[in-house]
Amino acid sequence: MPPEKPERFDQVDWTEYANPTGWQRSTNTRYFLYSTVPVLALGLYDWLVVGPREATFVRLGADLGLSGPFQMIGLTHDPAGIDYLFVGTLLLFVWYLLVPLYQNPRMTRYYWTRFKRNRPALGGLGWLFLVFAGGLIGPFVLNTPSQDILTAHQPPAFTSVDEATVPLCVGEVENGRCYGTWEHPLGTDNTGRDVFSSIIHGMTISMQIAFITTSVVAVIGVSVGTVAAVSGGWVDEGLMRVVDIVLSFPTLPFYLLILYSFGASLSMFILVFALFAWGGTARYVRSKALSVSEAEYINESRLSGASTSYIIRRHVIPNTASSIITQLTLLIPVFLLAEAQIAFLGLGDSDVPSWGQLIAAGRTDLAFAPWIVLAPGIALFLTILAFTFVGDALLDALDPEAKTEADR
Amino acid sequence: MRYYRYIGTRVLWAFVVAFIIVTITFVLLSMSPDPSIQQAATQAALEGGDPQEATDRQEKLRGLDEPLHVRYIDYMTGIATLEWGWSEYRNQPVTKALWGSLYYTAQYSIPWTILTLLFGPLIGVYSAARMYSWKDHVVTGIAFLGFSIPNFFFAIVLLLVFGVWLDWVPVAYRTDVPVVSLENAIQLALPVFVLVTGSIGGILRVARNESAEFQNADFMKTAKAKGVSPLRAYAYHVMRPTLVPLSTTVVGQLLAMFLGASLLVEVVFGIPGLGRTTFDALVAQDTNLVLGSVLLFTVIGVIGNLIEDIVFTIVDPRISYDDR
Repeated sequence: MPPEKPERFDQVDWTEYANPTGWQRSTNTRYFLYSTVPVLALGLYDWLVVGPREATFVRLGADLGLSGPFQMIGLTHDPAGIDYLFVGTLLLFVWYLLVPLYQNPRMTRYYWTRFKRNRPALGGLGWLFLVFAGGLIGPFVLNTPSQDILTAHQPPAFTSVDEATVPLCVGEVENGRCYGTWEHPLGTDNTGRDVFSSIIHGMTISMQIAFITTSVVAVIGVSVGTVAAVSGGWVDEGLMRVVDIVLSFPTLPFYLLILYSFGASLSMFILVFALFAWGGTARYVRSKALSVSEAEYINESRLSGASTSYIIRRHVIPNTASSIITQLTLLIPVFLLAEAQIAFLGLGDSDVPSWGQLIAAGRTDLAFAPWIVLAPGIALFLTILAFTFVGDALLDALDPEAKTEADR
Repeated sequence: MRYYRYIGTRVLWAFVVAFIIVTITFVLLSMSPDPSIQQAATQAALEGGDPQEATDRQEKLRGLDEPLHVRYIDYMTGIATLEWGWSEYRNQPVTKALWGSLYYTAQYSIPWTILTLLFGPLIGVYSAARMYSWKDHVVTGIAFLGFSIPNFFFAIVLLLVFGVWLDWVPVAYRTDVPVVSLENAIQLALPVFVLVTGSIGGILRVARNESAEFQNADFMKTAKAKGVSPLRAYAYHVMRPTLVPLSTTVVGQLLAMFLGASLLVEVVFGIPGLGRTTFDALVAQDTNLVLGSVLLFTVIGVIGNLIEDIVFTIVDPRISYDDR
């Protein structure tokens, strides 16, 4: 699978063309399916065997007789349904985005040189990488922040507050002022939870929202958009009318209604927002796919007997992929913001330590402990800014026809 | 003639969309347990009564013992005739409660919309005229900052700085001041500022990128060669074609802000408008008021989309009406 030194200008995998009417048989799809098997197996095991109050990995360790090693590396987690979904979408991301980039080094280098020209976007990508790594590794390294009312309102490192505002100062006290320590680099909140590790745990939530919602939106939006464009006629008309309805939905008020009747949970949030957000993507993909499906090679392909589904998979989606990726990148901030807003209103999933939750928690103590609001607020702001910058640069890098910001 | 038929079809379609969304709302509500019934049951159990009997009574009271299709028809006629029920939390009819809160929402929404529409295109075109100068970079930076900073977070920070530390604006919103007065203007300044910075960014970007195209168009060269003053050249020859693509995005962006961010801003600043009413109704578990405000937001959304489509046909006469 790793690309050998190319003998030719570009490599063509001829086996993929051998049977153009068969079911998906691309290598990446096969590897993707293989890699989902252990995740699905673990999910089924969790669902069927593990009891509701048991941690999955503890039980798995006991069943496999590996409790010792599992304990040693700290593998005592209990993944929820959403974690399996998250891992699934991560695999999707790896096999359909990262691996193809690795397999086509020439195009990757080309995109990278174009992307590099936009310096804010490079910074944005760096920050997103940090958030991604923090969200992925953080929960395994840092324990869930524990409450301790005595160490509430500790100031961040290098700053100090009046001694009277903290119940018990962890750091040094000088001239009646409590100084921050490296034990709590960003201070603690009103219940004594460490703000820094809360932010790291919030990264996981943000990444889960970003990946899962975007995957759902991508699957529905791309299918509807391409099918509408390629089929045309009444199928197109009908699908676009459905898109009209989806676009007219007032998502936030409607989510509040659902929350009112069914209760809040992170999976419900992801479900509702994904199911009402694909309208714009579908409309956008359709307009792109329409111009692609007019092309000569689509006609050629049809004449050689390719089925509609093969044309969509093989020609339409790859040729619209660049615009789809850009559009999806710019959609992620909307979801992150919506989650933070709902958590801030106190209507979110109270078990989930998201950034919005932390902002809401610190609001009452804002006057004397502003770091509780500022730290997660700035993290959220930087993440949204980074996605916007990266989306903007991707638009320039992936679409050679778009007017570029960097090409003056 | 075709034009009127197109508008007619659009209006008709807006009604169909509203009808479908309202139907989905009904399905959702009929599928879910009604909190007020559970409340009645809990109440009865606590007072030593029979929970089942209380549930039945409450269901009868709310008309939930009827068959589904009867309830559906009742529900639809109720909505169509503007009989949206009684709000127990506000102790007044739902329509009246919503109308009352719309009064406060309008007080900040109108200045916000006007300021955005006025300054967005102006600054955008100015920025394009000075493209890649430091002024342009500042404007672009502000635009990115504006739509990246979470509105509610920005509102909290501003309230801390100007309300608590500097004491320039009152921390609590006062409803007893007259609408046109200095006090009202001062207390609305922050919410309007937060919303304008949030919505102006996107409009700035579109105005800047679109008008960049017209800077070097042939008609601009002609105008310059004729000796038209720069102000007139930009006002007449660049601004007007820029407004066409802009008009299609403006309504959608303002609408998205209105449905989402204004709710948060109202909660942060304590303005008793629509968003605040929805939130309070949710917390107080007032089913009729929650439903009413969701319906009102739906109506606003549908009308907004309709306006967007119609504005598009008015400003751009080249659009063909056949492809719909």
